[in-house]
Amino acid sequence: MAVMKTTRGVKGVGLAIPRPDGPEKVTGQVLYVADIKPKGMLHAKLLRSPHAHARIVSIDTTRAKALRGVRAVLTARDIPELKRKAPTRAHALLAIDRVVFAGQPVAAVAADELAIAEEACDLIDVRYEVLRAAVDPLESMQVGAPPVADAGTEADTSEALAHSGVAVAKTEAAPTTAVNIAQQIKLGRGDVAKGFALSDVVIENTYRVPMVHQGYLEPHAVLAQWDENGQLTLYSSTQGSFNTRSEVADVLHIEENRIKVIPVECGGGFGGKIRALCEPITAILARATKRPVRYVMTRREELEAGMPAPQVIIKLKTGVKRDGTLMALDGETVIESGAFSGAVLTMSAVFVSSVYQFPNFEVRAYEVLTHKPSIAAYRAPTAPHTFFAIDSQMEQMALALKVDPVEFRLRHLMKEGDPMANGQPWQQNGAKQVLERLAAHPLWKSRAAWKASGGKDGRGLRGVGLALGGWIPGLQPTGATVRLNPDGSLQVLTGQVDIAGTNIALAQIAATAYGVDTDKVKITTGDTDTAPMTGLSAGSKTIYTVGTAVMQAAQDARRQTLEIAAKEMEAAVQDLEIEDGKVVVRGVPDKGVTLASIGKKGNLYMSKVPPVLGVAHPAFSQQAPAFAGQLARIEIDPDTGQTTLHDFVVVQDAGKAINPLGVEGQMQGGAVQSLGIALTEGLMYDDKGQLMNASLLDYRKLTAADLPNIETIIVEVPSPAGPYGARGVGEPPIVPAPAAIANAIYDAAGVRLTEAPLTPERIALALLAKNGDGTSGA
Amino acid sequence: MAKLVLRCTVNDEPIEVLVQPYVTLLDALREDLGLTGPKEGCGTGDCGACTVHLDGKPVASCLMLAMQARGRRVRTIEGLAGADGLHPLQEAFVRLGVPQCGFCIPGVLMAAAAFLAENPKASEEEIRYGIAGNLCRCTGYTKMLAAITEVAGSLSAKGA
Repeated sequence: MAVMKTTRGVKGVGLAIPRPDGPEKVTGQVLYVADIKPKGMLHAKLLRSPHAHARIVSIDTTRAKALRGVRAVLTARDIPELKRKAPTRAHALLAIDRVVFAGQPVAAVAADELAIAEEACDLIDVRYEVLRAAVDPLESMQVGAPPVADAGTEADTSEALAHSGVAVAKTEAAPTTAVNIAQQIKLGRGDVAKGFALSDVVIENTYRVPMVHQGYLEPHAVLAQWDENGQLTLYSSTQGSFNTRSEVADVLHIEENRIKVIPVECGGGFGGKIRALCEPITAILARATKRPVRYVMTRREELEAGMPAPQVIIKLKTGVKRDGTLMALDGETVIESGAFSGAVLTMSAVFVSSVYQFPNFEVRAYEVLTHKPSIAAYRAPTAPHTFFAIDSQMEQMALALKVDPVEFRLRHLMKEGDPMANGQPWQQNGAKQVLERLAAHPLWKSRAAWKASGGKDGRGLRGVGLALGGWIPGLQPTGATVRLNPDGSLQVLTGQVDIAGTNIALAQIAATAYGVDTDKVKITTGDTDTAPMTGLSAGSKTIYTVGTAVMQAAQDARRQTLEIAAKEMEAAVQDLEIEDGKVVVRGVPDKGVTLASIGKKGNLYMSKVPPVLGVAHPAFSQQAPAFAGQLARIEIDPDTGQTTLHDFVVVQDAGKAINPLGVEGQMQGGAVQSLGIALTEGLMYDDKGQLMNASLLDYRKLTAADLPNIETIIVEVPSPAGPYGARGVGEPPIVPAPAAIANAIYDAAGVRLTEAPLTPERIALALLAKNGDGTSGA
Repeated sequence: MAKLVLRCTVNDEPIEVLVQPYVTLLDALREDLGLTGPKEGCGTGDCGACTVHLDGKPVASCLMLAMQARGRRVRTIEGLAGADGLHPLQEAFVRLGVPQCGFCIPGVLMAAAAFLAENPKASEEEIRYGIAGNLCRCTGYTKMLAAITEVAGSLSAKGA
């Protein structure tokens, strides 16, 4: 990096500093849950339903219990906490008398060895009466579909609240007798019918993105252990130890201070490890056996019975006048939540009608239950799906009007203060700067030449496409402490689960705020017994919220330090500065008091100097929208429909890149997940609700060989409230690729695809249909 | 089932351990020898997180029985660094900020080390295929490829 000094002249915010735990990560020393094995530990295994919808006629565990090495076999009747109408997956520990998705746990086993637990599951005799399953969400939302939830189950909106904080004030829910519609909202403004009547071009499409798995490499894992005093310790792969503690306490009906959640290294979450999944049943097995019990899901279980992202179907109609004036938008969003409610319903409905200015719009959104595993968050939940629809639509309108697609978007982009669909004003953001930077890219400027070079000399069809995507990061109160050590170094404590390398960025913030170099800062992630209450590592809010807490705690510690020094030096606090590990009078760098001496006195027998302890525990109200734009340069084989990605560019507004290494990593990783949704991924179900691609061979994630290098361009439009202007960076880069790729495919081949993934088969079929002569050639 | 004696070399140390005949090499390393660096991401050989070296060749340790390693040389991520410090690949991964969650990293490093040992002058394009058997969900592979390509360049410079 060119910048070597930052604010206060210390090595802190803005530098590309490698994470200090890198060596542990590259030598295999970092411990994940499955790597921890206390003495006497048992292995857990869950027997899961093979049917998507069935009545449990009987369960016989006699033979399983008789197997040597088996320590517990539990069914629903063994668990007093278990109730009908479970509001979440975590509460639905084991099926009671009806299974509602293939893969739902029916019985739980703990045994000396995993192989014994597996064998015991085979020995459990369950008789099912198979029932008709609701598999397709559009059918499931009709009156008369087989019911998924128990009658009277309430919709779960906690995920939406935790993740996005975008509230919908006006909700008009039409009464319905369709039992599988868990939630519905309607948003609107103006006169939609009149808007369409005055439109010269009306475009209507149905966009569909199937369920996808978050794809973290480490499957869900938990280790549960009770002590003699009834204290439960959970080693968990979680994105938020305090949230996990609350959920487990709620399910087990015990006080939160009887549970200690130790957030072990998390091998990826992306939203899928926010909610508790297997913690409660593992804790109950440990209670039943009085032994530590470890449960690690298999990959097949992850794919069949994890908590994937929902399928989203968006029917979208937009109208525009010949002069380019947007007139009307009509949308219907169906979010398929699987067997339990929990969709972020508002985000899709708000985004589809809020990013570009439509004077007249109506959006109806439905959360629909089906007999599939229930969903959870996945990095900007439903935003990739929603921008796939709206940014494909914007592109088509621009092309129909023969205007530049970037200019068209820029002209209609909402600005600061404009009302979103829910009435809230847009906060200041960098969407415009992102689009402008993308449009200035040489690959965009040279797109005509690239396209013209395709289709000859044995080359495929060539094209370039781009799209915008954004997210409104979440907020959550959070705490941090900063201590001054007796040697003058700093000690930062939060409960923040560091998945991607956020702790180094937090250390940089502490360094800059206090006035020491980052290498003088140690940051620790504490467990729920020791750390101040800390929010989730989710919602693109770690740096924005926990970073603020760390900054304020470091400022507090700095103030205390200066006050102690002021007394000693008989100087005024406002004349003091921290330089090179000393408190000095500004302009007199030779004389001063070292931080070490101040720190030492805070821990000296009979000392009257208090130890420096900076504390901050802010709550937040101002969100900072964050946008990314992506550009793809592709080539399509007209015979096979195979897409080759030649180049891929991500432009993103980070507000202020606290650590550019980490920001680039988020942009690159997010982009490839976005490309996965665009090109290859999707959980595929048959008409009985059986998953057909339950392995990583069949569920295709992108590999290094499928991809070009991801070019990253960081734009910095400082946020008004974030630490040093930072914005959330985790979620925006997963949003744009489906639309960017669809737009590139249209540019290359003249076919418009609206159903993801945009597979070779779909492209080839579209080419055949377009040419109408049975050939797919250009 | 009666346990069997597995004798082999792990990270240059001769070892002798009792293992169940049905356990995989991965489980024997992790559960019986306490070498938890190799990870299980899928158990079916699709993700590469369990990659170790067997007589210098990369293998998916979840796909072979522990007893198949009898009399052979096994190297895990714990044995990649030398006495004089990190392997050049490990050093480059740290410096260029490759690891995020870190779960795939042991497997990627073992695959890359074996690939470069056979192809010290590999180009970035060749390395893409060299690590195509290793899935990573966090990084998008770009920084990973930069690190491996940089080391390939320096190894080939040394070799020349």
